Amino acid sequence: MIRYLLTKILEALIAVWGVLTIVFFVTRIIGDPAALLLPLGASAEQIDALNAQLGLDRPLIEQYITYIGQVFQGDFGQSFQFGRPAMQVVLERMPATLELSTAAIILGTLIGAVAGSIAALKKGTMAELIVMIFALLGQATPVFWLGIMLILFFAVDLGWVPTGGYGTISHLILPAVTLAVFVCSSIARLLRSNLLDVLKEDYVRTARAKGLMPRTIFIWHVGRNALIPVVTMIGIITGELLGGSVVTETVFAWPGVGRLIIQAIEAKDFPVIQAGVALIAFIFVLINLAIDLLYGLLDPRIRERR
Amino acid sequence: MPLMSRTAFFAGVAAGALAFALPLSAPASAQDAKSVTIAMRVSVNTLDPHMTASVGSDLSVLSHIYPSLLLRAPDLKLQPALAKKWTMVDDVTWRFELAEGATFANGEKIDAAAVKWNLDRVRDKAVGARIAAWFELVSDVRVVDPLTVEVKTSSPYPAFADQLSMFFLLPPEWAKTHNPASETMSGGPYTVAENVPGDHITLKANPDYWGEKPAFDTVNFRTIPEIGSRVAALMAGEVDLVTGVPTTEIERINASGNAHADAVDSTRSMLVKINHQKNPMENLKFRQALNYAIDKEGIVQSIFDGKATVSNCQILSPDYFGYNPDLKPYPYDPDKAAQLLEESGVDLSTPLEVEVPVSTYLQGDEVTQIIASQLQEIGLTVKISEIDFGAFMNKQIKARDLAQMAVQGLAWPTIDADGMLTMFAPGNVYDYWNNADFGKLLDEGRATTDPEKRKTIYAEATKLMCDQAASVFLYQQPATFGVSNKVTWQPRGDDWVRAFDMSVKE
Repeated sequence: MIRYLLTKILEALIAVWGVLTIVFFVTRIIGDPAALLLPLGASAEQIDALNAQLGLDRPLIEQYITYIGQVFQGDFGQSFQFGRPAMQVVLERMPATLELSTAAIILGTLIGAVAGSIAALKKGTMAELIVMIFALLGQATPVFWLGIMLILFFAVDLGWVPTGGYGTISHLILPAVTLAVFVCSSIARLLRSNLLDVLKEDYVRTARAKGLMPRTIFIWHVGRNALIPVVTMIGIITGELLGGSVVTETVFAWPGVGRLIIQAIEAKDFPVIQAGVALIAFIFVLINLAIDLLYGLLDPRIRERR
Repeated sequence: MPLMSRTAFFAGVAAGALAFALPLSAPASAQDAKSVTIAMRVSVNTLDPHMTASVGSDLSVLSHIYPSLLLRAPDLKLQPALAKKWTMVDDVTWRFELAEGATFANGEKIDAAAVKWNLDRVRDKAVGARIAAWFELVSDVRVVDPLTVEVKTSSPYPAFADQLSMFFLLPPEWAKTHNPASETMSGGPYTVAENVPGDHITLKANPDYWGEKPAFDTVNFRTIPEIGSRVAALMAGEVDLVTGVPTTEIERINASGNAHADAVDSTRSMLVKINHQKNPMENLKFRQALNYAIDKEGIVQSIFDGKATVSNCQILSPDYFGYNPDLKPYPYDPDKAAQLLEESGVDLSTPLEVEVPVSTYLQGDEVTQIIASQLQEIGLTVKISEIDFGAFMNKQIKARDLAQMAVQGLAWPTIDADGMLTMFAPGNVYDYWNNADFGKLLDEGRATTDPEKRKTIYAEATKLMCDQAASVFLYQQPATFGVSNKVTWQPRGDDWVRAFDMSVKE
């Protein structure tokens, strides 16, 4: 187990290093920040001077080596726009993103699990049809449109919640619901099809024949087996949401990392792009590791293979 | 009695939910008469006034916190602030007389020495101030007495006073031990109470302010990047001022009865910039044909509901010093355009590209569509390239590879022909025209501070640009806004959004 963990951690480090390298070179391709950072009318000399000050005039390989060296010391450099350490700028936005993704994942998983189970157990009934139609709609509705509609109805017309912003539970409701709609639709559809597959398995029939309570069968024989792909999907969605949900954050003026990174890309604020992407890559890797460990809990065969 | 207990249970749940819901039903920023909320498109990035040139966000917020020598009033005229009086002693010397008793909240004096320290700071190469370009011509700053400061420039700089309206003063002693990018020490009407990066920044009236007490006790600047959400926040009564409203939304806002929306001409000129270095744009008749082929008035009416004004064959609007009142726009005349095209001898199958930075200018993407289709109507082969603003600037300034045409908006913060026109002078990073006569006129304009002489020179320069069809001149981008019924705000053509230009509606 320890050996397994160590291998996984090593793999994770290599993945993060790969992401850092790709991001470094891609940002250098997208252009020159100095022209955007200086006011209109700055001369070519002033642009060159700023590039020199930011260290962007040095050979790419030299910049890369310095950068990787600094990253190993936990230094992601100073943001070009904010004039503060880039990682600090990114971490400041992390609580908002954590709050929103956690709320959306919990809400989405709960609703998705219930809806998916109903659709599977009541196959062929009106209930299944309704759940499946809503799940399809939920997946197909553009987040942007849904967000604006929710704002217009609940914030402008009814005045129940604020139109956007950050700070209280009431600010969280609309963006969390918007994201949860997508999350629960995906989970409901996946869980339903998995449950239907598992319900056909021999061991379920055996369990029924043994006269076990339907609840016991559902939880211990069906549920556990149907959950493995769902857990993977929750993991992937969590990773995506923790990377910031740009559209939702923009529509609801939610100050998360997604919006920050987009802003940094627009302004070519290299250090913030790098710090942000590095953090997201790290989170993704951690989640993957967590999912791997969870598989073991759900399926002893996977545990034994290690 | 199980039914009763069940009903009682639900009643209890409902009451609990209601109690929970009640505080939510009040508008998010419970607004009393003494507070005002302004929506911004982008968040405040830095609090260091020398590290940003962004008037619509950073500098607007900082103008509440730090003093400046002069301010630009809503009518776009300069008004005294810390400087009670400013005069030109000679062509290259400016003298400023400062208000008495001005101090920062930590007790530091806002005097001639503080002004000098700040002007020295932005010019110090080691500091790397982002706005250093504005003060390139400043050669010396001299403290005459504690309330008088003299600034020498290496050559005449008539727009220097205008430039100072965007220059804010930091407390020198405090700045030695603090990081102005993330900390503040007020010397203006407000002080920072709370700053949640990316969300909002809240200001409270500065009790130690040396000037007149501001109208509002609290000012909130909220970042709302999406325009639909900004309008929603205005209609829901959460914010009192939004800008950059699409003209198509104006009617809806006015009909709601909650707020008032309208537009005024901005200082930003929209144009199709022409890259004279690329075939066939060096051909004068061809460029003139483009100017005749585009229906400016039609664009203004159809896209902006008549809320924009067609440019008078120049990139200056009437607000600019040096505006030429004698120029008239090229009329919409497709026949004349076709005739000119024929005379130009240009091969009509030559592919033409129009670049436009995506979502940068008010309804700019739609305008580009119309332009392309009107050029196609006279037989040209036109392709639109929508690109990200950063990539566009890079292509324009760094790679020097602008397409044959680019839809662009230009404004110059000092609202002076010098600066705005300089972007078309040979050698300037923005220039794709390379006209030596035009360059010579601008040099002459810069060599004098005599307003009459300057006006004559800029009249000649703008006429040359119009006759040569250096660009396709389109319209003044409308400065649109929405204001809640709670406050008044004088609309303005530049980007400043300030609470001290607002008052409580009686």
